[in-house]
Amino acid sequence: MTDPHITEFALEVRDLSRTFGARKALDGVTFDLPKGAFLSIFGPNGAGKTTMLKVLSTLTNPSKGSAKVMGLDVIADAVELREKIGFISHNPLLYPDLTAEENLRFFADLYGIEDEEARIDELLNAVELQHRRLDAVRTFSRGMTQRLSIARALLARPDVIFLDEPYSGLDPHAMDILDALIAQVRDQHTFVMISHDLAKGLELCSHALILARGRVVLFEEKEAIEPEAFSATYRKTVGMGVS
Amino acid sequence: MAKASSMRQFKAILKKDIVMELRTKEMLTSMGLYAVLVLVVYQIALSQAGASFDVLRIAAGLLWLALIFTSLLGLNRSLVHEKDQGCLDALLLAPVDRPVIFFAKAIGNLIFLLMVEIIILPLFYFFFLAGKTLGGPLWMLPLPLLVGSIGIAGVGTLLATMSVNTTGKDFILPVLFIPVMFPLLYASVAATSAVLIGDPGYLTVFWNSLALGAGYDAIMLLAAYGLYEFIIGA
Repeated sequence: MTDPHITEFALEVRDLSRTFGARKALDGVTFDLPKGAFLSIFGPNGAGKTTMLKVLSTLTNPSKGSAKVMGLDVIADAVELREKIGFISHNPLLYPDLTAEENLRFFADLYGIEDEEARIDELLNAVELQHRRLDAVRTFSRGMTQRLSIARALLARPDVIFLDEPYSGLDPHAMDILDALIAQVRDQHTFVMISHDLAKGLELCSHALILARGRVVLFEEKEAIEPEAFSATYRKTVGMGVS
Repeated sequence: MAKASSMRQFKAILKKDIVMELRTKEMLTSMGLYAVLVLVVYQIALSQAGASFDVLRIAAGLLWLALIFTSLLGLNRSLVHEKDQGCLDALLLAPVDRPVIFFAKAIGNLIFLLMVEIIILPLFYFFFLAGKTLGGPLWMLPLPLLVGSIGIAGVGTLLATMSVNTTGKDFILPVLFIPVMFPLLYASVAATSAVLIGDPGYLTVFWNSLALGAGYDAIMLLAAYGLYEFIIGA
């Protein structure tokens, strides 16, 4: 097994491909992302963005190539890797019939959190849901559910946080809260976010990647990005459609 | 962070399933009601059979048919529930060995199936066996029920996981489940029938059938243990 401490990269992706039947969702994707970076991934629907996140988070195996997250291979070291990643999606990944506290306790058990009570308290306070801890998640608004989803993702103090369109369906107030939460923990984690919102994605990122038809069209550090040229490239790739 | 022990993870998944079911009662209510309806339909179907017809000869088959169809309803719901809410991904993202998920889900399904059986059995007795003399001792009856239920829960959990990602999951599960369950169903019906009827030599038939059922359970649970990682990740 690879020692995760010997690499300076949070993500090392090499010739990564994933096919579904004859369709190539990912086709030879290669890039490295330094630890502590914030990568925003853009691209049209069907470009392979979600598939890439699923491969990097061990939900789907690649068909070809390799990917390492914090030096751990997504296939060979999958179980160990899962301890180091958090996942926030537009889908909350929470049990609606359980209370906020029960949801967090369930995931704390799965991740082997030792200071369970203190950690749940800390996170419920951070996402401002302490007063609703005993209420079933199905009674929560979309924004509250998403805040609890963030608490779930942060529970195990992950090194890398994957965000799959986390702002989708949020009202402006909930978006502000999500912004504040990300800002609070920005320095402690590497982030990989899929976004259709160019302005928001560029505002948060340190690196940007445009994906189209499963291929990397552009991968640059934020300092190297010229916003208008980037926007033009993005619009062009959206016009390219799906693979 | 220390890695969670498999036992802690197993207990967490099992407890979560039980708490959610006791809170919503979705699976237990639908399975219980369906089982009662099946018994009522049996009653109607046999109402014109005539006084000479001995229902005891086919009672074991009727009971297992009701259990198999009822369990299909519950098995379908157990994974669909996770999938519908996107929670299956959350479970798969956690550092849990896949066989732990399998055993927790299978034990949960077994508990719910046994709970439904506790409801069905007195009703079945009332509908079909009241006033009749059973051939074997009553204490033997739970044994084939337990062996059959373990197999239904184990194989059913595996096949429900296979079918949950398919578009026709309501159709796919029975199509896979019934043929795969045939040896266990045969053994369970034979053992239950032996106790209910009590023909000469029924003890030999009972123990042989029970051994066949237990062997089937052991083989299929081992296969499910080995295959679950591949199936749930597909």
